[in-house]
Amino acid sequence: MSGILNTTYNNVSYSLARQSSVFFRLQEQASTGDRINRPSDDPSDAYRVLTLDTENRSLETYIDKLSDMSNTLDTSSSIIQQIVSAINQVKVNTTQVTSGVYDQASRDRTAEAINDILEQIIQLANTQYNGQYLFSGSNTSTVPFVAEYSNGEITAVNYQGGQDSRSVEVAPGVSAVAYFNGDEMLRSDQRDTPVFEGTTGAAAGTGTSSVTGNVWLTVTYNGTNYELSIDDGATSVVVPTSGNENVAVTDSRTGKVLYIDASGITTTGVELVRVPGTHDIFNTLISMRDILKNGRNLSDAQIQELRTSSIDSLDELSQLLLQKEVSIGSKSGFLENMKSNLESLKSNNQDESEQLKQVDIAQVAIDLSRQEALYQMSLAVAGKIMSLSLLDFIQ
Amino acid sequence: MSSFDIGLTGLDAARKGLDVVANNIANAATEGYHRQRVEFTPAFARQDGNTMMGGGVDISSVTRIIDNFLEQEILRQQSLLSQSSQESSMLKSIEISLGELGSGIGLSVAIDDFFNALSDLSAHPDQIAYQNQVLSAGEAMAGQFRTLGDFLNDLELQIKTQVENVVDQINSLADQIASLNENIQRIEMNGSEANNLTDQRDQLIMQLSELAGVQTQAREFGVVDVSVGSVPVVTGTTSTHLEAGLKTETQLGITPAGATVYETSIDGGQLGGLLALYNGTVDDIHTDLDTLAASIIQQVNQYHVQGVGSEGSFSELSGRTMPTGSIGDFEPPVSSGSVFIRLTYTDPVTHAQTITRHQIDIDPTTDTLTTVAAAISAITGLSAIVSSNRLQIQADSNYKFDFIPAALPEPTDTTFTGSPPPEISVSGIYTGDENQTFTFTVVGSGEVGNGTLELEVRDGDNNLIDTLNIGSGYAAGDLLDFDNGIKIAVGSGTLNAGDSFEVDVFANTDTSGLLSAIGMNTFFSGTNTSDMSLASDMMDSPGRVASSMGTDLTDNGNVQQLASVRNLEIDDLDSMTISQFYRKLVTDVGQQLSAKQTVQTNNEALMQSLINQQSNISGVDINEEAAQMLVFQQMFQAMAKYLGTVQNTISTLYEIF
Repeated sequence: MSGILNTTYNNVSYSLARQSSVFFRLQEQASTGDRINRPSDDPSDAYRVLTLDTENRSLETYIDKLSDMSNTLDTSSSIIQQIVSAINQVKVNTTQVTSGVYDQASRDRTAEAINDILEQIIQLANTQYNGQYLFSGSNTSTVPFVAEYSNGEITAVNYQGGQDSRSVEVAPGVSAVAYFNGDEMLRSDQRDTPVFEGTTGAAAGTGTSSVTGNVWLTVTYNGTNYELSIDDGATSVVVPTSGNENVAVTDSRTGKVLYIDASGITTTGVELVRVPGTHDIFNTLISMRDILKNGRNLSDAQIQELRTSSIDSLDELSQLLLQKEVSIGSKSGFLENMKSNLESLKSNNQDESEQLKQVDIAQVAIDLSRQEALYQMSLAVAGKIMSLSLLDFIQ
Repeated sequence: MSSFDIGLTGLDAARKGLDVVANNIANAATEGYHRQRVEFTPAFARQDGNTMMGGGVDISSVTRIIDNFLEQEILRQQSLLSQSSQESSMLKSIEISLGELGSGIGLSVAIDDFFNALSDLSAHPDQIAYQNQVLSAGEAMAGQFRTLGDFLNDLELQIKTQVENVVDQINSLADQIASLNENIQRIEMNGSEANNLTDQRDQLIMQLSELAGVQTQAREFGVVDVSVGSVPVVTGTTSTHLEAGLKTETQLGITPAGATVYETSIDGGQLGGLLALYNGTVDDIHTDLDTLAASIIQQVNQYHVQGVGSEGSFSELSGRTMPTGSIGDFEPPVSSGSVFIRLTYTDPVTHAQTITRHQIDIDPTTDTLTTVAAAISAITGLSAIVSSNRLQIQADSNYKFDFIPAALPEPTDTTFTGSPPPEISVSGIYTGDENQTFTFTVVGSGEVGNGTLELEVRDGDNNLIDTLNIGSGYAAGDLLDFDNGIKIAVGSGTLNAGDSFEVDVFANTDTSGLLSAIGMNTFFSGTNTSDMSLASDMMDSPGRVASSMGTDLTDNGNVQQLASVRNLEIDDLDSMTISQFYRKLVTDVGQQLSAKQTVQTNNEALMQSLINQQSNISGVDINEEAAQMLVFQQMFQAMAKYLGTVQNTISTLYEIF
C-alpha cells in the first residue's frame, strides 16, 4: 500500500466523478425512457431518428389530406347520386306524360315540376364542403353554376368555375383530383353525329359540328331558296342550290356551328337537332321543360317524339353520371387504401424510431444497481485507506 | 573537542531532517509540491595518529524528488485535456441550442411544419386559415433560424472575449514565471537550492499548460524558458506578452504584442480549443446554417415572386431597401436575363379584360434600380419609382400586374389568310424547364372541323413536337392538349396552308433573379441565418401567399411548387435536400461532440494515471514521513545521549584532580 495521500485523493475523486457521470446518464435514460436524448448520444442512430421523425410529420400531413380528399370525394359522390335520383324523377314524370293521356295543363304542371328539379340540381351542383365549392374546379371559392332567369323561369345555366380541376398531392409523387370542373362533370363529351328529329329533310353535314346538346333548327323558304337558322331566326344561312351537302349554320349567340346536309330539305318547319354525347344536364332539362310547355306550338306527335328522344338524352346523362360516380367512388377507395398504407408506414416508422430511441429499462435498472454498488465500494475503500496511518501507532 | 563537534553535527542533521519531514507533511496537500529529501554525507575526517577518524555528518543538500520526463508528459497531457474539455463544452452548448431530439422543438420540426403548411395550403389555396398557417409556420421557422444565428453570433463574441481573457492570463503567468526564474537564478547562483520557488514556478507552468500548449526548455541555474505556439513567452528572466486579434474577417489568432504575426492554430490548452472552435467548428456550423437559410430564402422566393395569392394581381408593389449602385452588386446575385410583367387591363364599362406581357431585360453590369424603374414606367398602365433605394411599381387605374407564367389567352404573331379567321384561345401553365415560343403552322386548307386540316406544333428549336387534327372529327372550340400543360382551342373559321401563330410559354418569368434579389413579391426577406424573416408586406396579408400561377388566379400550382422545394436537391447544399442537409449538420455536431468527449475521457484517464505516477514519485506519503521522523527523532535522542556521555567522561576526568 503506497498510502500516498494525494494518490488516494486523486483516485477517489476521479472514480467518483466518472461514476457520477454514468449515474447521471443512467438516471436521464430511466426518467425519459430514451437512450438518445441528443444527437451526440448516438450520432448515426440520431440521424435515422431525425429522418424518421421528418418522414412521419410529412406522412401525417399526407394522411390528413387523404382523409380530407376522401371525405370530399364521398360528398361529391353523394351529390352525384342525388342528381341521378333527381334525373330519374324527371324520367318518371316525363314517362307518365308520355304514356298517359295528358292535356296541356297537365303537361304544364310536369314542366313546373321539372323546373323545380332543375333548381334543385343547381343547388346540388353548387354544394360547398368545408367552405369550398365541390364542382367549381380549381376556383373553389366561386359558385360554379349561375342561372339566368326570364319571367321567373331558368333560361340558361352558366358555368363560372375554374376550367381545370384541382389536383392535390396526397402522397409523395401521387396527386389526386378532389374538386372537379362541374361543367365537364355534368356534360357528356362523347360527341356523335347530330340527329335531326323533324321532318324537314335536313340531315347532318360532313363537317364536325361544334353545337352541343339540343338546338332548334328553323327552316324557312324565301321563294327561291331555303334558309336555315339555329338561333330562332336571329341570323340565317341561305341554302345554295348546289354544294349544299355541308352548310355551316352558326348560332349568333354562342358562335357555334351546325353542319347541315341541306340537299334533302323538302319542307319548312322547326325541328329539334340533338347532338348525342354532348348533352349537359341543365340544357337538357330546360329543353324538356320547354317541350312540355310547347311554346313552339308543336304537334302532339312531335311532342311525343321529342319527349321520347329527351328521355334518351336523360338516359345518356344518367349513364354518364353513374360512370362519374363509380369513378369518384374508386378514387375515394384508392385514397382510403393509400391512407391505410401511409398509416401503416407511419406506424412502422414510429416503431423504428422508438426502438432506436428507447432504452432497455431492465438493463438501465441493472446498470444503476451495479453503479450504486461500485459507488459505495469506492467510498468504503477510500474511507478505509485514508483512515489508516502510522501516526496512530506512534506513542 | 572533536567529540562535541561530532555530536553537534549529528544533532544539527537530525534537526534539519526533522525540518524537511515537517515541511513535507505540511505540504502534503499542496498542489504542485514535490517531496524533498535531505541528503547527508560523512563530515570531513581527521587523522588521529595512524587512524582516520570521522568528523560527524554534513548536510549536503535538500533535493526535490522529481521525474522530469514525467513532468513534461503531464504538461502535454494537461494541455490536450484542457483543449478537448473546452471544445466539448462549447459543442455541448451548440448541440443544446440546436435542440434536436430533446424536449425542445428544434429547427427540423420548424422546417417540416413550414413545408407541411404549404402542402396543406395546396389543398385549400384560397382559405385564410391555411394561408395564416403558412405565414405563422414561415415566421416560426425564420425565428428559429434567427435564434440560432444570434446564438452563434453570441458564441463567436464570447469565444473572442474568452480568448482575450486567456491571453491576459497567459501574459500574467509569463510575468510571474519570469520573476520566479530571476529569484531561482539568484539563489542557485549562490549555491543554494530554491526548491519551493521551483515548485511554485512549475506550478505556474502547469497552470499555463491548461491555458495553452507549452514547450519548456531548462537552462542553467534552474531557469526555464517557456513558449506558447512558436512565440517564446518567457526567455530567462524576461517575458513577452501576447495579443489576440483577427487575422482575417473570420480568422482569430494570437501574435506577440505590437506585431501582426498572427497564429490561428495553437495546439493544446483552452486557447487551442477556443481558436479551433472560432476558426473551424463554430465557423463551419455558422456557414452551413447561413447556406441553409439562404437556400430556403432563395428557392422559396424564386417561386413566390412568380405567383399570386387569393388577393389576385397587384395594384402596387414595393421591394426592399437595396444598396446603391449597380444591380450586379446585389445579394443574392442578379444575372443577365429578363423579368416578364403580365399586365391586365379591365374595361370599366364592359369589364372585358385585355392581358399583355412585357419583357424588361436586365444587364447587371449596367442597370440600376433607376434604369429598371424607367423601363417599367415606359409600359402603358405602369409607373415605377425608386424611393429610398426601394423599387416601387404602381399600376394605373383599371390596370393590375403580376409575374405569373401562365400563357396569355391569345397567341402572338398570327398570320391568318382565310376568311373569317378562327379565334384561337390559349390556356394552361407550361410544365417545361425553359421559356420558349411554340409555333403552330396550318397544314391543309378549309374550315375548322372539315377535311384534313392539321396544325403542326414546333418548339423553340424548330423540332416538331406534335401534329393536331383540327379537321373532320374536331369540333371548333374543343381543347387541344399537347402534354406540356398548354392547351389551345381553335374556333370556327377558315384556315389556309401555311397560316401560323405563335404561343410564348414560360417556365420562369424572372430569369435574371432580380425580383427575388430586390424583394418584389417575395415571401422571405434577408439573406442569412441572422436576418431571415417574413417579408414585411406578407405579415398581415395572408391573401398574398402566392398559391396560384394560372390565368384565372385560383389554382394551386404555385403553392405545390413551393411545397416541393423541400424535395429539391440543391447544389449549394451539396446536392442534398433541405432536411437532409440540416440533419447532417445536426448529427455532425453530435458526432464531433461524441468524438471530443471520447478524447476527453481518454485524456482524463491518461492524466489520472500520470498524476498517480507523479504522486508515487514526488508526492508526500505521511506514513513514510512518520517513519523518517522516528529515525530523525531517535538519531537526535542518541546524539543527545552521546553528548551526555562525553560530558560525563570529561566530568570523571575532572574528578581526578
